[in-house]
Amino acid sequence: MKHQLTRWPVRLGIGLIVPLFLFLWWQWQGSAHPSAFAPPAAVASALAELLRNGGLLRDTLATLERAFTGLAIGAPLGVAAGIAMGIWKPVDRLLGPLLHALRQVPMIGWLPLIGLWFGVGEGTELIVVSMSAFFPSMLNSHAGVAQVERRYLEVGGIYRFSTFQRIRFILLPAAMPLVMTGLTQALAFAWISTIGTELLTGAGAGLGVAMQAAQVQQRLDIMLVVISVTAILGFIINQLFRSLRQSLLRWQPAQS
Amino acid sequence: MSLHPQARNEHAPASISRGALTVGGLHKSFDIGGAPRKILDNINLDVRPGEFVSIVGASGCGKSTLLRLIAGLDTDYSGELRLDGERIATTSLDRGIVFQDHRLFPWMTLEQNVELALLNTGTPKARRAQIAADHIALVNLKGFEKAYPHQLSGGMAQRAAIARALVTEPKLLLLDEPLGALDALTRVHVQNELQRIWMAQRSTMVMVTHDVEEALYLGDRVIVMSPNPGRIRRIVEVDLPHPRDRRAPLLHRLKDEILAELTSGADAAESAGNLVHLPSREAR
Repeated sequence: MKHQLTRWPVRLGIGLIVPLFLFLWWQWQGSAHPSAFAPPAAVASALAELLRNGGLLRDTLATLERAFTGLAIGAPLGVAAGIAMGIWKPVDRLLGPLLHALRQVPMIGWLPLIGLWFGVGEGTELIVVSMSAFFPSMLNSHAGVAQVERRYLEVGGIYRFSTFQRIRFILLPAAMPLVMTGLTQALAFAWISTIGTELLTGAGAGLGVAMQAAQVQQRLDIMLVVISVTAILGFIINQLFRSLRQSLLRWQPAQS
Repeated sequence: MSLHPQARNEHAPASISRGALTVGGLHKSFDIGGAPRKILDNINLDVRPGEFVSIVGASGCGKSTLLRLIAGLDTDYSGELRLDGERIATTSLDRGIVFQDHRLFPWMTLEQNVELALLNTGTPKARRAQIAADHIALVNLKGFEKAYPHQLSGGMAQRAAIARALVTEPKLLLLDEPLGALDALTRVHVQNELQRIWMAQRSTMVMVTHDVEEALYLGDRVIVMSPNPGRIRRIVEVDLPHPRDRRAPLLHRLKDEILAELTSGADAAESAGNLVHLPSREAR
């Protein structure tokens, strides 16, 4: 642990080298072609303006709410479906082909159809985000349960486990590493599809909506602010989830 | 380590037939490439209550299959297989098993693993922790209750697996090469522990091993099996009281006899490949 703590500043420093280089390049290009590259100073003032008028906060909260609501709907359903398919073959036979066919369509590809049915608005966005969270959760949970080693199931047989006990004490914990991988992907997919649907539908508030508005107004500075916020927030959420995952899976030998 | 007698008397009826295993005319075949292949051929064996029986034989002689049948993990056999007169048709808490790989659940601590075995024994929840702790002490793992399996050494994990198997107080404990994956030193150490535990518990034990010395050191009887198909070749009585001295001349004499028997069998079946896998230290 201590070993890691002493090293993280070093890791952070290394991780910042390339962004710093890009920043310098941007500064140089920004002053040379101000129409294509808003210079850092302009972006900083746009950030200050968006913070002052509360626009950035409102958009950020709207996007976070949308992403996490979608995740909260799609991920549990995906985990449940995946586990049910992994445990009961008939469920897999029944739902598998349909779900595997549906997932071939990129999530954004559903937008026109769902938009037509439900109108351009919160409902449509939520459905698409939930679906994006659903599929990675389902696929990984399914694989997790299907890969549980027979030798552990035999131990359950020796101790006369009921079906419920088998699920509770063997299948679920054994599948947990892959379930968590699925949730990590679901989180990333929910985040990406939230921004994507916001960009395309442009309804209400949200970072994607702000990006689109900035494009229409040719406000490069605002666009860069919103893109940076999106990237940084996504990164932070991912890191938080990673530590959650590690504490949940502390029984595993040496996780990177 | 005399923590068992009281615990045992609670559910054990004062019956003499406690842990008597009967194997009569047992046959077992596997379907290999569409053709049935005989694995066990007419196995007859009676194990007395409280007896320690070792089974040795070349790999492929069906000794592990025999153990899986007795455990109830595989119920597709013909012939007779009974524990205390009752036909073996599925797994039972009366029959415990320790596998070569410890099979502790990696997602649970040592004490959770041991306690989990009590789930369906009807033991009140409040007493489970105490019983588990007693058995962890029995295998000398006190202080490691909160350790996850990957934090234990091979020998410790195998002792933990023995504690888990004993916690339900099975009438019959099956040991499927329980020490096969351990290094020579650890193995001797766990053999001593196993003997001590068996003397304290006095439940019936059947152990499969490929280590002749181990089989003789622990067993009241040693069953020598030959492969293709698996048959009982010879039954050796080891008429020495426990605890035993490894240097006892009788053990060494019997070891030489059994090894000669096993290797002569291999000569005859040499065309079938190198069938005798004895530990290298035995060969020297």
